[in-house]
Amino acid sequence: MRDPQLSFLETLDGTGTASRVTVPDGALETGRTRLWVTAIVFALSFLIVAGRLIDLTVFTDGALSAAARSGPAPAAVASRADIVDRNGVILATSLPTASLYADPGDVPDPEQTVTRLAAVLPGLDRRRALARLRSSASFVWLHRNLTPKQQHAVNRLGLPGLQFKRSERRTYPHGRAAAHVLGLTDVDGRGIAGVERFFDRMLTGGGAPVRLSIDLRVQSLLHRELAAAVDATSAGGAAGVVLDARTGEVLAMASLPDFDPNRPAETPPASRFNRATKGVYEMGSTFKLFTTAMALDSGTVSLTDGYDARQPIRVSRFTIADFHAKKRWLSVPEILVHSSNIGAAKMALDVGAETQQDYLRRLGLMSAAHVELPEVAAPLTPSRWREVNTMTVAFGHGIAVTPLQVAAATASVVNGGVHRPATIIRQPDGVVPAGVQVLTADTSRTMRGLMRLVVTHGTGRNADVAGYRVGGKTGTAEKQVGGGYSGDALVSSFVGAFPIEAPRYVVLVVLDEPTGTEETGGRATGGWVAAPVVGRIVSRLGPLVGLAPDPAPAPGGGKARLASYAPDGGAAREWPVAFE
Amino acid sequence: MTVTGTLRHTTALFLLLAIGVALVLFSVKYQVQDLEEELTTLDAAIHRDREAIHVLEAEWSHLNDPERLHALAETHLGLEPLHPGQVGTFDGLPARPSLLDPAAAPREDGQ
Repeated sequence: MRDPQLSFLETLDGTGTASRVTVPDGALETGRTRLWVTAIVFALSFLIVAGRLIDLTVFTDGALSAAARSGPAPAAVASRADIVDRNGVILATSLPTASLYADPGDVPDPEQTVTRLAAVLPGLDRRRALARLRSSASFVWLHRNLTPKQQHAVNRLGLPGLQFKRSERRTYPHGRAAAHVLGLTDVDGRGIAGVERFFDRMLTGGGAPVRLSIDLRVQSLLHRELAAAVDATSAGGAAGVVLDARTGEVLAMASLPDFDPNRPAETPPASRFNRATKGVYEMGSTFKLFTTAMALDSGTVSLTDGYDARQPIRVSRFTIADFHAKKRWLSVPEILVHSSNIGAAKMALDVGAETQQDYLRRLGLMSAAHVELPEVAAPLTPSRWREVNTMTVAFGHGIAVTPLQVAAATASVVNGGVHRPATIIRQPDGVVPAGVQVLTADTSRTMRGLMRLVVTHGTGRNADVAGYRVGGKTGTAEKQVGGGYSGDALVSSFVGAFPIEAPRYVVLVVLDEPTGTEETGGRATGGWVAAPVVGRIVSRLGPLVGLAPDPAPAPGGGKARLASYAPDGGAAREWPVAFE
Repeated sequence: MTVTGTLRHTTALFLLLAIGVALVLFSVKYQVQDLEEELTTLDAAIHRDREAIHVLEAEWSHLNDPERLHALAETHLGLEPLHPGQVGTFDGLPARPSLLDPAAAPREDGQ
């Protein structure tokens, strides 16, 4: 057996004959070790590669291939998320637009270019465009925010030297209808008002759309009816709220005068004022609802009690008199039905200032509404709550609150006594937000009956409509002009709930400085100008939200169709005055 | 076989294998490149379509604006908003006259 080392060396010259090489013993040993180390290192590397290969092909379970197959995550279409209504209808969206610019050096014939452009871009200022194209600049804007159709038309002209720059533009497909709720963005796409501002952080980034509780159909209906009322009464402004009585969701909220959010530059800043959440008004008699509710709830009075309303009350420099004076003893229901200031004031005195403030606070009338809008005003309350304040607040004077607060408080009165803050964010189906029990369910039931009486027998008769039982309360407040109250400038309102036996919706309409018309006999009070608006809204809203109307005949029988035929000969159903 | 011969064969085999693998790798690489180009094209097309859908959705919302439809229905169709009195149920329908007056009832025996 030859020495293995030698045989190894022998192979080197390929002949098999041992070369006569003289190698020192130690060097051979070193070379052998090095070879081993190298071999091991290589073997290990290949093992690692092989291991990884097996790992990738056998053990990864296709995770990588799945990742490769799905491709890159789809880029968001717009950089700002949509705002949608409760049914998913788009209320605000960012649309890609193209802006046309040119490098004048590349435009061979500026005159012809402008002439041909003007044919497809009617908004083009020809003189300015021509001057820009003849300038020595290397970049001039020709037209901003082209519609896709215009862009297509410009492309078809095939003019040299023109380029498009992509940009985005916030668009409101429904224009004025929900302008105050949605708000506005500035030119850089940052929210500066309304939902756009409150949810700015959620909207930027183009994620999931923000879903409001607004129902566009109801919003549109409220907006149209309010606008018609403002037209008819030449009112200086108006606010309207439709609230889900059970969840506190705002289905519609409108304020007039309004603005076109698609053309923000063309609107006077005053029209951006949201009267429903930022305007505070002395609401007048609608507050008697709360006064009566707290008096009944605290056990101060019962339905059979009453007050002497023959004489006006004189307190310091004020005289509290009745607008619809009956000049007799009035029961508690009569005080509400005939809207007696004297009765309400006396009732509030019996309730006491402390209890009164406590109830108002829990009804959310003493602090700003917690609604998801930046434009929220805090109510104006008396700095010192004297006896006269207790009396005037009882009928809605000396305290100024926002229409939204009144709607939310009325919802608490009719929904079983639970106060829930109003919200403009859609609540998941079947989820009722937590609330605070302010009144007992019993008081709420009684109040619903009284509110129906106001409409059937009292100041709110004009809110009565066929098919739906509306309950509510009128309000007429004189506006403070200078130091005193003016008899001419009124804030007329009506807050209604329907169907009153189990209210689903609360509708509030407030008209700021309406004037009487021929139809109202020159009267501009809540019962004459605001109540009919609520009535019209209810008669349209009911079928819209799927509430089956009562099969009672329509007023003005001749117009009634077969479907509204009543077998009992047409007697209108009367809401029972006794409650359960 | 000599050691040298074995080594020669092994070398040749590995050389062939290496060339084969290189060729396969080459073609796979180009296939992947083609696929990636196709993917980019498709992604761009998808993005364009999504953008078009986005714009069309906005237009759909605008065309369905209740106030616009209201105005259109008024001018072109002569329709009016639904009145609660126009909603009825079967219970609200009058009874069939024949049921009230047996004499007027049509004969049921087919005569």
